[in-house]
Amino acid sequence: MIEISDLKKEFILSKQQKKELATKADRTIAVNGVSFTCEPGRVFSLLGPNGAGKTTTLRMLSTIFKPTSGSIKICGIDAIAHPQEARRKIGFLTGSTGLYARLTPNEMVKYFADLYDVPKDEFEARKERLFNLLDMNEFQNKRIGKLSTGMKQKVSICRTMIHDPEVVIFDEPTSGLDVITAENIIKLIRDCKEQGKTVIFSSHIMSEVDLLCDDIAIIHKGEMLFNGTMESFRNQMQAENLTAEFIRIVNQTKETQS
Amino acid sequence: MIFTIFKKELKDTLRDRRTLIMMLLIPVLIFPIILNVFVGISASFEAEAQGKTVKIGFVGSEDTYLLEKLDALPEDYGKKEIIYYKDSSSLIRDIQSDSIQIGIYTEKSFNASMSEKKPAMASIFFDATDMGMQDRAKKYINTIEGIAQQERYIDMNLDEEQLKPFSINYKNVASDKEMIGKLGGGILPYIFIAFGFIGCMYPAIDLFTGEKERGTLETLLTTPVLRWQILFGKMGVVVLSGLLAASAALFGLFLSIEVLDIVDNEALLEIIHSVLTFKFVVMLYALLIPLTIFFAGVMIPVAVYAKTFKEAQSIITPLNIVMVLPAMVGFFPGIELNSITACIPVVNVVLATKDLIAGTLDYGLLGLSFVVMLSLAIIAVFISYKRFDRESNVIQ
Repeated sequence: MIEISDLKKEFILSKQQKKELATKADRTIAVNGVSFTCEPGRVFSLLGPNGAGKTTTLRMLSTIFKPTSGSIKICGIDAIAHPQEARRKIGFLTGSTGLYARLTPNEMVKYFADLYDVPKDEFEARKERLFNLLDMNEFQNKRIGKLSTGMKQKVSICRTMIHDPEVVIFDEPTSGLDVITAENIIKLIRDCKEQGKTVIFSSHIMSEVDLLCDDIAIIHKGEMLFNGTMESFRNQMQAENLTAEFIRIVNQTKETQS
Repeated sequence: MIFTIFKKELKDTLRDRRTLIMMLLIPVLIFPIILNVFVGISASFEAEAQGKTVKIGFVGSEDTYLLEKLDALPEDYGKKEIIYYKDSSSLIRDIQSDSIQIGIYTEKSFNASMSEKKPAMASIFFDATDMGMQDRAKKYINTIEGIAQQERYIDMNLDEEQLKPFSINYKNVASDKEMIGKLGGGILPYIFIAFGFIGCMYPAIDLFTGEKERGTLETLLTTPVLRWQILFGKMGVVVLSGLLAASAALFGLFLSIEVLDIVDNEALLEIIHSVLTFKFVVMLYALLIPLTIFFAGVMIPVAVYAKTFKEAQSIITPLNIVMVLPAMVGFFPGIELNSITACIPVVNVVLATKDLIAGTLDYGLLGLSFVVMLSLAIIAVFISYKRFDRESNVIQ
């Protein structure tokens, strides 16, 4: 379970960033007062255009960033006060995740299992199950740098799941992948849901959201525009489809702000 | 956990061809190449100088005393060929075009002055850029002058002993080992420092900037490993790489002397053997370890700050000059290890190593150098930690 309340993240701008953003302000607010809850066995989707604050929010959840204010609880653990404990519960996968090209899938997965202190017997059993499930046995001893994009994605999945996390965070996991490769991720999200894990994923692809999620939050410029179940979102739709409704909500906010 | 990260990073580093070349291959080859080139060039230079027939242009009459004596000099003084000139301008022109190498111009009164036992006037022309020709000319003239002097003593019935008020012996009290250590010993620490730096450079960039650029650092930061543990695990590999590069250079030196037999001068070999002892190696590493930690500590904040491999390389490469330049102090013979130079990083390591080679090391100053390097290494590690802990530096 993930519970976040009134989450805020400010960044101090460097001189170059001020120039790029054409601003004189010393700080920028990436996430402003965001609150939501993700339940176990449900898929929560964080939706927003580029630069909305999705990645920053997920990085705070995964304890890479420290929030400026607000609270985060991962499976009841205060992730700000005890980030190490919270990390043990989290599996984190992003679309831009790189892999160690000079290691083999076997070595890579073992490395992460060691970092999560996974006992040897548990590791062996879990690795065997995941390698069979993802059909990775054939290339388990090849250097990752020599694998195809699809194979690499499977290694990423295996790396994310090797410590059997209770909470799985996906940051635009299918970005840059073809439909066949993206299917592995869709399948993984479904499996996680079936296993009763808490799943949160960010995306701006409405078809994925429609296919997978139970709960949805829309953020824009760091502010929460909608938070509810997928069903309630569909019921209050004013546009003819999900994509049109998403654009309508974002544009409406732009007009209100201007 | 630090060891888990260290192990993985070491494996990753040892599989990187570029790092392996910079860390092991080049340092191993550097001493054999330098020594081979040095020994080869000096041997060929000597042989060439010995075998070369020097063409000497002469202006003056054929019965000039100087010419007669020059002609009579044995071939041990080097082969020569005498060419006659009418005037000094064509003689100078031919020296400039290297048609001849030495020019001798004698005044018309040369023989008369000799007979009257007055100083006979002559000018010697040479091109100083033509290596060794000035020395060759001096050798000829000094020999002939010596012969003429002896002849005058006899003619004038003088006792040569009575004309020499002093008989002085100049004695060098420095041992050969000390001479080599103080004069040529600077090259050894310079190469160790240069390779220690280069050995650290590629792993530092690869393990910090590279990891950020490839997008693997973000994943690593979501694991329950503390940031300082990640830093220490990676830093361990950077330091080890620097030490491996320096060790590879030491191995290359051993290889050149013991296996490839590049140095064939017995006396020099004996001195080198007396320098390269187990104690020398242990003390060298006592200085190299804090130095390499210091290098790693200076490079890591840059590598953490840089966004791309190129950016990191463009900052660290000039840093190389700043760090390695002080090592050149070792080439200047007059600079000694004292309480001031022992406090200057890099310089202290070079001077202490020189003293180690020369066998004149003051252990108090060695201790001071070690403490200075260790303190700087600790400060550098602390700065690295502070940089690595900043979220803006570890995420693109």
